Amino acid sequence: MTWLFFRLILRPLWADKARTTTTLLSIALGVAVIFAMDLAGEAAAGSFKSSMETVSGQDDIEILATGGLPVDLLAQLSQLPYPLKFSPRIEDYALLANKRTVPLIGVDIFANALELESSGEPTQPVKPTERGVFTTASVGRKGETIWLQINDQPLSYKILGIIDSGQVSGDLVLMDVEDAEAVTNRRNRVDRILVSLPAAEKVNVDTWVDTLAKHVPAGASVRPIGARKEENRKMLAAFRWNLRVLSYIALMVGAFLIYNTISVSVVRRRAEIGIVRAVGATRQLMTFAFLAEALFFGVAGGGLGLVIGRILAEGAVKLVGLTVQALYVSSTAAPVEFDLAAAALSLGSGIAVSLLAALAPALEAGQIPPTEAMARGRIDTQLQQATPRHLVYAGVLLAIGAALCQLPPIVGKPFGGYLATLALIAAASLSSASLIQFGARHIASWGGVQSLLAGRSLAGALRRSSVLVAALATAIAMMTSVGIMVGSFRETMLTWIDRQIRADFYLRPAGDAAMDRHPTIAEEVATKIEALPGVVAVDRFRAYSIRYNGLPVTLAAGDVRAQMRYGRTSLKSGDMQDAIKSMLAGEAVIISEPFSEKHRVKVGDPITIPLGTGKPTFRIAGIFLDYSSENGYIILDHSIIKRYLPADEPSNLAIYTKPDVDRAALRTQIERSYAPRRIVVFENNSLRNEAIRIFDQTFAVTYALEAVAIFVAVMGVAGAMLALIIDRRREIGLIRFLGAAKQQVRGIILFEAAFIGLFSQILGVLSGSLLSLVLIFVINKQSFGWTIEFHAPVLALLSALAFVFVATVIAGLYPAKIATTLNPIEVLHEE
Amino acid sequence: MTRRQFLSAATFIKALPGYKYEFPRDHFSHPEFQTEWWYYTGNLATQSGRRFGYELTFFRAALQPSIEQKSIWSTRDAYMAHLALTDVEGKQFFHAERLNRPGPGLAGVDLKSERIWNGNWSCHLTPNKHTLLATDQNFNINLALIPAKPHVIHGPNGVSQKGPNPGQASHYISFPRLTTQGQIQLSGITHQVQGNTWMDHEYFSSELDQNLAGWDWFSIQLDNSTELMLYRLRQKDGKSSPFSAGTFINEKGQTTHLALSDIQFTPQRLWKRYPVEWLIRIPSIGIELSAKPLLDNQELLSKSKLTPSYWEGAMQFTGSQSGRGYLEMTGYDDRVRFMPR
Repeated sequence: MTWLFFRLILRPLWADKARTTTTLLSIALGVAVIFAMDLAGEAAAGSFKSSMETVSGQDDIEILATGGLPVDLLAQLSQLPYPLKFSPRIEDYALLANKRTVPLIGVDIFANALELESSGEPTQPVKPTERGVFTTASVGRKGETIWLQINDQPLSYKILGIIDSGQVSGDLVLMDVEDAEAVTNRRNRVDRILVSLPAAEKVNVDTWVDTLAKHVPAGASVRPIGARKEENRKMLAAFRWNLRVLSYIALMVGAFLIYNTISVSVVRRRAEIGIVRAVGATRQLMTFAFLAEALFFGVAGGGLGLVIGRILAEGAVKLVGLTVQALYVSSTAAPVEFDLAAAALSLGSGIAVSLLAALAPALEAGQIPPTEAMARGRIDTQLQQATPRHLVYAGVLLAIGAALCQLPPIVGKPFGGYLATLALIAAASLSSASLIQFGARHIASWGGVQSLLAGRSLAGALRRSSVLVAALATAIAMMTSVGIMVGSFRETMLTWIDRQIRADFYLRPAGDAAMDRHPTIAEEVATKIEALPGVVAVDRFRAYSIRYNGLPVTLAAGDVRAQMRYGRTSLKSGDMQDAIKSMLAGEAVIISEPFSEKHRVKVGDPITIPLGTGKPTFRIAGIFLDYSSENGYIILDHSIIKRYLPADEPSNLAIYTKPDVDRAALRTQIERSYAPRRIVVFENNSLRNEAIRIFDQTFAVTYALEAVAIFVAVMGVAGAMLALIIDRRREIGLIRFLGAAKQQVRGIILFEAAFIGLFSQILGVLSGSLLSLVLIFVINKQSFGWTIEFHAPVLALLSALAFVFVATVIAGLYPAKIATTLNPIEVLHEE
Repeated sequence: MTRRQFLSAATFIKALPGYKYEFPRDHFSHPEFQTEWWYYTGNLATQSGRRFGYELTFFRAALQPSIEQKSIWSTRDAYMAHLALTDVEGKQFFHAERLNRPGPGLAGVDLKSERIWNGNWSCHLTPNKHTLLATDQNFNINLALIPAKPHVIHGPNGVSQKGPNPGQASHYISFPRLTTQGQIQLSGITHQVQGNTWMDHEYFSSELDQNLAGWDWFSIQLDNSTELMLYRLRQKDGKSSPFSAGTFINEKGQTTHLALSDIQFTPQRLWKRYPVEWLIRIPSIGIELSAKPLLDNQELLSKSKLTPSYWEGAMQFTGSQSGRGYLEMTGYDDRVRFMPR
């Protein structure tokens, strides 16, 4: 058996290095991408650490509320007869001079003084006269003065001490709660109260959560400290799931290449198989031998893939991190760690896909009768005709796919959609043979003799050419569909922005944005701008990250009156007039579409929101389209939120001006009104550009994944073409012998490459367009809840397709060169 | 005098003779003085005779004479507190300390609500009852203290002089005998206890004299319904400072001031650096006592460099009379200071 494996499988593989290498590499890349995305996803989102959890304290329970907790609660809790330690926390972000945003944490230095003093060097924390901060080592040195921007204010602080890096993960700035209260404008409020249990009680966290819950106001929530991590895991689950599915595309393309490689092996070794069978090898043995070949590809390619994947993960974690930050939450990506389970899964997928892809050709190898040994020259007779049966199968698969799209999500995941994707790809692959035959007959005849010969030879070697076309078509279909989906999303968002953005200027504090970070602008800035001549209204918008049903949501307060008069928010469902009236009356809220999808609520439903210490219930008066947050928005009127959180300052300002105003002059005045605060002003059109920038950043990882799939496919085409040439040495020799010039032979080969490219494009674009419908209307809708209008980004797609086409033709260059160097006499002599 | 001392002394009021006491006001806070403490120490026992000693102390230390109260977190006074329990039978000593700013009500002293508190350690001080509540990780106490005698004021002219300069003194009030009843919960078991508590309340604005290393302080409740308060101010050269003094309180609550010349302190046995056994003679009132600790290890070992370690423990007295009480020894660890500076 070993001998057989060596002679029949390994030796030919070695002899045919080019094809072996490309197949190996394609599997390797497929596995690498899966592994890299899994590792990166875990680092950026899974082993997620909220950037606020950087201080690894002894705390076990947290108490929190929208807009913070009143300090009186801390006093009440601290007097309960429980052996607990309560620590107030003010949490915000500080922008460093080098534009890095780090968490800013305000703690009660007094209450911690005894502990702080007992560890490490003697610092002198109890010095209320000195304004200073404690930082991690990379932020600055002890005694140094650093510049920080907190919300919209530039401030300088002296570094009083350096925080031991063993106590924290990631950088941070720590200050006394008194200073933090002043700079973050949390008058008499703290963001969280952390509770530390005595060592013996650490096992009873849940009991203590219940006990404490009785002592906090309705709007506050009490939960174990790890809850935020779980919450984020849950929030990021759909995102990670889709990322994972996307990462399997490259491997799917690889599967076609395995299939191609093994079938070619079987076909080319029919004679050998016949001989081996004639001398007594069983059918099973033949099948096993070829499955072993696939296993070799799976194992070797997969192993290589793990190595490449580990390297790719370092880059991928940045891309994934950007997406997570832009769409969800400020997080610190954990270092990429080699995860054995992820490695096993990726490797396992690689091997499984290889074996599955090889199953049909391996079974066929078992079917070859011993008499085949005598039948030289009967190469590749199967599938000379594309049978209509395949087209019927394709039709049935399409119908099944369409039916699968109707299924609702299962545990929040669009399984129907995924299966429909597979069905579509299978249908397209089944049609490839018919397409080639049709193309060879009707298209190839237009291009002269070389084209005709190329077409004929493709149609004559259908079992290989059809697989090649299917592989490339799959990659193109993925590219097209993802391209259409992202393009549609982008276009829809832009239309929405154009409709949404009606104000002339938008203001927000400087610094990079994140979905859960809402720095504020001082109220006096808004008042000053309101008084400027030429300004007709200033809409104050305030956002909070809150939790609804255990998931993060953005709660926002806007000026409904200003919106009504100057803006134009349109509702997807619900009556606008009723919504405005009831929002002003404090009875209702409006919610964004993703929120309604995610939490399964509709217009008219009641909704209870934790607000400050209260927990009021509102009616949902409308659902509006929104593409800026997957977690969703709940919007109420400004005046209502003030009842619960009176002292709050806006996080954004929208400024409406008189139509005839000198914009440049007004902009200067606005800038003067907030100086020296650090605020950025966007004019209407620059906000649009900013939105596009964030959008493209969000989808960077998608583009990268697509590029890998295309690369694998084109590489596969090159390898397969080469195999094709080597198989057809005799034919090429004959053509040359009959008087064809080298250029003509090259022409034929290049035409073949071009036809493979062309047919793949036709099939790929057709199936890709269908696939994009599944992505947009089934998978996206079920996982994220966005309504996206179909928009084909024609220009971008055409250029991508042209690129792939050229790449395919270029992939034909090397095989063409090999073909022309064949010596016709020698080749014919082989007979 | 350093510049800092001069400045602080210039702005805080000093303890000077002629101070007019007024109660219940003077049982509570005196922010015009820099330092202030309320000290409860007591010897308790269960019906079956299982003995406990306890200490609950509240400190207030002004960081500066006045500040601008910009925020609820603005801090003029830092509040510290100590809690200790001596389990004689179990030979265990538990102690805990905390430091808090007043903040939204984390710690403080309030005449209106008659409370002195630091987190969930508190004293409700009414004219006829002091209620002590304190919860720690290892134990908690819930005690009702009823004055068996009215409070006394130590020292002539209302000042307890601690050094040669005017103002090197404190206003010093004691409840020498508070009949105590309540519960001590230790390791999940609640013990019904009763006994006697001593309470000290002092306020002043000067630090210890430069020549002093620390002090040894005794509160003694004798079985014949009389009490003694004695302190020996220890100079750096090991001798007793001439300002060491004491007070004898008779059955009726009348006080007799004792000067150093009246008292003979003789340290006996050492535990670590602390002389935990003593011989005390006061010939003028015919007292000769041998003082022994209920447990050697009653040291409040500070975890932090901000606060000193000291020994404060329940004592047994025998000799001319027998009695119980407490001994406090400071300055054996480091020069005593009460607040981080």
